[in-house]
Amino acid sequence: MKTIQELNESKIPIVRINNGLKKYKTMPIFQEKIDKANEMLRTIGLPKPVKNKAARNI
Amino acid sequence: MKLPKYEMEAEDSLEVFEFVSEGSIGSIPKLIKFSETALKGFYNLAFGDKHLLTGEIDDKVVSNNGDSEKVLATIVSAVYAFTNKNREAWVYATGSTPARTRLYRMGITKYLEEVKLDFEIYGLLSGEWEYFEKDLDYTAFLVRRNK
Repeated sequence: MKTIQELNESKIPIVRINNGLKKYKTMPIFQEKIDKANEMLRTIGLPKPVKNKAARNI
Repeated sequence: MKLPKYEMEAEDSLEVFEFVSEGSIGSIPKLIKFSETALKGFYNLAFGDKHLLTGEIDDKVVSNNGDSEKVLATIVSAVYAFTNKNREAWVYATGSTPARTRLYRMGITKYLEEVKLDFEIYGLLSGEWEYFEKDLDYTAFLVRRNK
């Protein structure tokens, strides 16, 4: 069993479950951002093999 | 990150979180949501203030509650919780305004070395993704748990 100190220092937070928040899963909030994310996926997509500052300067 | 952060509640899929910002203006309930996009496993991260009376969410309001660092640490904590359950998920984030995007960039930059231990971090620059580096004016961010 983890100690209180270990729990407090963990990067994974302790989260209280409140299923009253489920209503927000289907609510169209932040839709503008989701649309922009989909547009980014359509035009740019996922990261390709490494691109960094050094590569840009070549 | 051993930073002060707020206690959170979430529904059991860990896609929606709620916490209360406590600052100079008062108590402001905030909602964090990971929304799956058109690409399976690719989630948009957004957060905003929850209106106390109507329950409506506003992601453009500037609260100025004097606790932005603690709020950012709480959001990062939610990303840890979400990606702990969804190990393969991509999490995409961009600010509602250029100022908020800069705030995210500064937050990532400040804890970059620590965050890199757990995540691949990319920044979007001139229409291309690249590994996140300090001092570049990225317009969006993308993370995934290290394999």
